[in-house]
Amino acid sequence: MFEILEHTADIGFRARARTEAELFAEAALAMQSIALDADAIEPRAEYRLEAAGHDPESLLVNWLSEVLYWMDGERLAFHHFHVSEITPERITGTGFGEPRDPARHPARLIVKAVTYHQLRIAETTEGWEADVYLDI
Amino acid sequence: MSRALRQYPLESTDGLRFRIARQGDMRTDVLVYASAALIEHIRQDLSLEQAMNVATLPGIVGPSLAMPDIHQGYGFPIGGVAATDYEHGVVSPGGVGFDINCGVRLVRSTLAEQDVRPRLKELVDQVFRDIPCGTGGSGFIPIDEGQLEDVLAQGAGWMVENGYGDRRDAEFAEAGGVLGDADPDQVSARAKQRGRPQLGTLGSGNHFLEIQYVETIHDQRAARAMGLETGQVVVLIHSGSRGLGHQVCTDYLALMGPAMKRYDITLPDRQLACVPIQSEEGQAYLGAMCAAANFAWANRQGMTHFLRRSFAKVFGDGARLELIYDVCHNIAKHERYEVDGKMRDLLVHRKGATRAYPPGHREIPEAYSDTGQPVLIPGSMGTASWVLAGADGAMRETFGSVCHGAGRLLSRTAARKGRNAREVQKKLEAEGILVRSETRDGILEEVPEAYKDVDEVIEVVHQAGLASKVARLRPMGVIKG
Repeated sequence: MFEILEHTADIGFRARARTEAELFAEAALAMQSIALDADAIEPRAEYRLEAAGHDPESLLVNWLSEVLYWMDGERLAFHHFHVSEITPERITGTGFGEPRDPARHPARLIVKAVTYHQLRIAETTEGWEADVYLDI
Repeated sequence: MSRALRQYPLESTDGLRFRIARQGDMRTDVLVYASAALIEHIRQDLSLEQAMNVATLPGIVGPSLAMPDIHQGYGFPIGGVAATDYEHGVVSPGGVGFDINCGVRLVRSTLAEQDVRPRLKELVDQVFRDIPCGTGGSGFIPIDEGQLEDVLAQGAGWMVENGYGDRRDAEFAEAGGVLGDADPDQVSARAKQRGRPQLGTLGSGNHFLEIQYVETIHDQRAARAMGLETGQVVVLIHSGSRGLGHQVCTDYLALMGPAMKRYDITLPDRQLACVPIQSEEGQAYLGAMCAAANFAWANRQGMTHFLRRSFAKVFGDGARLELIYDVCHNIAKHERYEVDGKMRDLLVHRKGATRAYPPGHREIPEAYSDTGQPVLIPGSMGTASWVLAGADGAMRETFGSVCHGAGRLLSRTAARKGRNAREVQKKLEAEGILVRSETRDGILEEVPEAYKDVDEVIEVVHQAGLASKVARLRPMGVIKG
């Protein structure tokens, strides 16, 4: 579950999930949905994704930057994500999607990067929550 | 973000320069250029607090500067300028931004408004077809990996050599369209993979191409030197280094977080991450940043080539397009300035700020040596843009820098609220401005109401003597990502 947050020049989102692993998967999906019209994306193939960090914030930024690279650099469109392993310094997961077809997957906007601006990741009474701002 | 900023006193003696005195961890003052009305807008977001955070950077020289178009960014405010000592100071990728060498070029045509107006729709549609936004993922300039290395090393010059422009084009760009300190080996394979298919594409967000006409001339002599006259049609291109530059910044921010610990640097905002300029990481970043800057100049040059073809298709060979100038507004450059009576080597970070060299400066083309460097300031979609000329005040006060645009007022979500893309497009059409956008949100998020009044921003810069007014441009056609 996620919602959009305001920023004068750019865009952010708040993601929520039951577990930390699900939170990272949800955050990746939030970013994908901001960039692309996700309706027509099909989970035809699996792509392995991984990232490292030295604290929860850098792990989240580096994970989303990894996903963004596969979206913009390898031109993939993701249907959903699964995180198989998460430690304080490492995350491994899978993106389910397909090569991007601009006709079927029109762009909403181009995401340039994931930022540390007002980045927040926390365990709450209901689960996990994160705020992330993207440069667009 | 804990400081109750609005309580900090902003002192001004002339109503143009507002100072926040050094306090807490700040190593210097913050100096904001604004009017009384603009300063009230500026207080509404985090931009002043961000300018105060910039004042904590090790080795900062002179004040942390904020231009009248300042608004909140990440780490650095957008519209911020910070100079650091080249030997003992730091370099901050956040002080350049994700879009390395995002910039503006202005191209003059041999056509007048009345020549273009009757065929405007045809022209706008042609340009929209010929210059890809890149939202589909790729552009029309196929280059292999080896050619990309050459683009990263040679910038606009490579494009000219390979048939995407004429010799004069590279000469009339800031730094000649190439930074010689570029080191393509410091650009990651990922950054190259991301950027290679995007050469010659506009991008989305606030990037755009505008067909405009010269509405008023404010300085006849400077306008003549720049080849501008009332009613003349010009084209403004606002774009940057695309995915290549974004990835370079992402890569080096990830590297600098842990490296800062080694250099014992602590900062109030992680997005300000920095390392000593002379460290291994600092030099690697600057090598990669210069390469990304070269990619951006090549990118704008590629679009200029397509633009010439679009004009030729619609108007035939009679329509000649010549580059007036090309400026970058996200960059860190090694420059020399007099500080307290002594010449010093500095790294000038311009994050949403434009270089503005005065008459006689050796780094501007001969054609502008009497008038000063052309400074190109895009306004919001549907209002106006400005051409200024760099003035001596910028050399004395702002490390040769001025503003870069109107500056946002509304968030993107607020801009979309209660507006319909079709209606906005119709309203602009009624004012004689045709808009084509790859995305619906592209039109809504950039509505004129989302920005500050560009005329007021320019007035501050002009009154403060940082740059002087040359011409005001009005849009006719807008292409957006």
